[in-house]
Amino acid sequence: MAGEPLLSVEGLCVEFKGARGIARVLNGVSLSVAAGETLGIVGESGSGKSMTALAVLRLVPDPPGRISAGRVLFRGEDLLQASTPRMRDIRGNKISMIFQEPMTSLNPVFTVGAQICETLTLHLGLRGEAARRRSIELLKDVRIPAAEQRFDEYPHQLSGGMRQRVMIAMAMACEPSLLIADEPTTALDVTVQAQIFDLLREIQKARGMGLILITHDMGAIAEMADRVAVMYGGRVVEEGTTRDVLDHPQHPYTKGLIACVPDLDQEVGERHALTEIPGVVPSVWDLQQGCPFADRCDEAIAPCRTSMPADVVSNGHRVACWQRPGERA
Amino acid sequence: MTSPMLQINDLRVHYRRRRLNPFAPVQAVHAVDGVSLAVEKGRTLGLVGESGCGKTSLARAILRLTPITGGSISLDGTRIDALDGGALRQMRRRMQYIFQDPYSSLNPRARAGNIVQSPLDVLGIGDAGTRAARVAELFGAVGLRPEQQALFPHQFSGGQRQRLNIARALAPEPELIVCDEPVSALDVAIRSQILNLLTRLQAERGLTYLFISHDLGVVKHMADDVAVMYLGQIVEKASRAAFFSRPLHPYSRALLSAVPSVKGGRSVAAQRIKLAGDPPSPIKPPPGCRFAPRCPVADARCHEEMPQLRDTAPGHWVRCHRVEIENGVPTSPLS
Repeated sequence: MAGEPLLSVEGLCVEFKGARGIARVLNGVSLSVAAGETLGIVGESGSGKSMTALAVLRLVPDPPGRISAGRVLFRGEDLLQASTPRMRDIRGNKISMIFQEPMTSLNPVFTVGAQICETLTLHLGLRGEAARRRSIELLKDVRIPAAEQRFDEYPHQLSGGMRQRVMIAMAMACEPSLLIADEPTTALDVTVQAQIFDLLREIQKARGMGLILITHDMGAIAEMADRVAVMYGGRVVEEGTTRDVLDHPQHPYTKGLIACVPDLDQEVGERHALTEIPGVVPSVWDLQQGCPFADRCDEAIAPCRTSMPADVVSNGHRVACWQRPGERA
Repeated sequence: MTSPMLQINDLRVHYRRRRLNPFAPVQAVHAVDGVSLAVEKGRTLGLVGESGCGKTSLARAILRLTPITGGSISLDGTRIDALDGGALRQMRRRMQYIFQDPYSSLNPRARAGNIVQSPLDVLGIGDAGTRAARVAELFGAVGLRPEQQALFPHQFSGGQRQRLNIARALAPEPELIVCDEPVSALDVAIRSQILNLLTRLQAERGLTYLFISHDLGVVKHMADDVAVMYLGQIVEKASRAAFFSRPLHPYSRALLSAVPSVKGGRSVAAQRIKLAGDPPSPIKPPPGCRFAPRCPVADARCHEEMPQLRDTAPGHWVRCHRVEIENGVPTSPLS
């Protein structure tokens, strides 16, 4: 995955103002994704996964939110400095996003066709019959059977999997070079999830598109991602190639996350209790100095509670943990 | 072998659709269509299926929370499908439900202690003193602190709310607990805490679980026996070991292969059994095997004739024409 990254995020910070002061929701997030590559972002709810995606597209609700520091370089252009019309041109056109809830992200009072046509009209200026023809092509691309007929149907007439396909068709309308998929299959059944993953892989291969897949499912990461970033408390705590991170996790949080999932590959023999990560993700208001995971970590030592460990990189595997100073390359 | 804790025979739950035109034919959603199951005392039956297959309708019917169309349900040898009024209420002491969504299943205006105590109040168990003592004991048992009794549900995290749900279900000392997707709304790191809690409580209190989930990894961890449901019918049931070492029904195989695995990654994904399309409508189920329209190995017979649930090896039941038995060993049509 050498070469110029398509998107590179450097030291991104997002703050929210609230009754209890200012909360740092993202605290120096750095990531990058190249063309044709899939970056997985994994973490629990509240870890900042979705906020990272929103910040990249400058969709953080402002106020109360604010991108307070960092750079988001898309093909060398800093999106945080871009003008509003320029951002509007980039969103949906160059960078597209699909959301978790295929039920709520489509407008129930318009037909599926009208919603795809809207994208085509706004970004590509296609109207009337041309827009209709292109929409039906897009629906066919995402393997929707009887696309001509589906074009005139409303979202409630489609199943969850079909709706997610429509969302993907809309996201693909302008052939974006980067797609951000935020938990695209969480609301779907496993057999349908498999179909959606196949579809995303196919589209990515055909177009050489960069893909950021946000999920909490380590299995989905193993299957889809080339590289993975593990997020916790608004920071990337570990990052590396997928096989490297899954087979040799360095950060205690990553280890816990992998170990606490019941494993379908395990032999049918004896069962033992699952590994637990004690406690819960800290609220953004309660984040202290030091490592955000320290309170739940069974390897925590004194410096963990006072200052945030710096990133240690060896062979492209990055980890932020006080317990891993020896591997400093 | 003692008599099972829960025995269901040919249970059917059909929901009639409202007709806009009074002359239109009556249509019914066949949510549960002839399900027979048994759960032994102290064991866990894992019920697996995709959304819309009728898992929750089945669970609700067992607890008599939804009207049943036909069939029988026995709890510890007592028929409960015909009970009503006070007799049904007394029976409810013995069976409780843990809901999927820990957010909507707790009254936001009631304090945690009162929520856990409410089954005792409703069923008239004990007096004020013993109820309070029981609530305190339950808070300890599920890993909540006693002072948290005064808090409201919004002051708890998702995992803690599910602990409240569990404490409430345990309050009347039930023998059977139906767990309907108890962890699917929770974060991965919290799931293991709740699953371990359920396992510990079962061992301590001799509980019988009907454990409903769409997550095969979770079912493999929790269940002693497994039943797979598709479009209102059981398509395969077997012991945990038999099911996971040799799944027979093509649907079970597809379901197992669809789960992304951390170890397998892409190589496994490439060999996956692919299912096309979505399950057919439960209003007009296909005449033959209900899985036939999506089945990669269906033949003409599958589309015309409904297969019966048959016993292919001791205790291993499957509803498929194409499963062959050679020298007493059943083989799946899909490998």
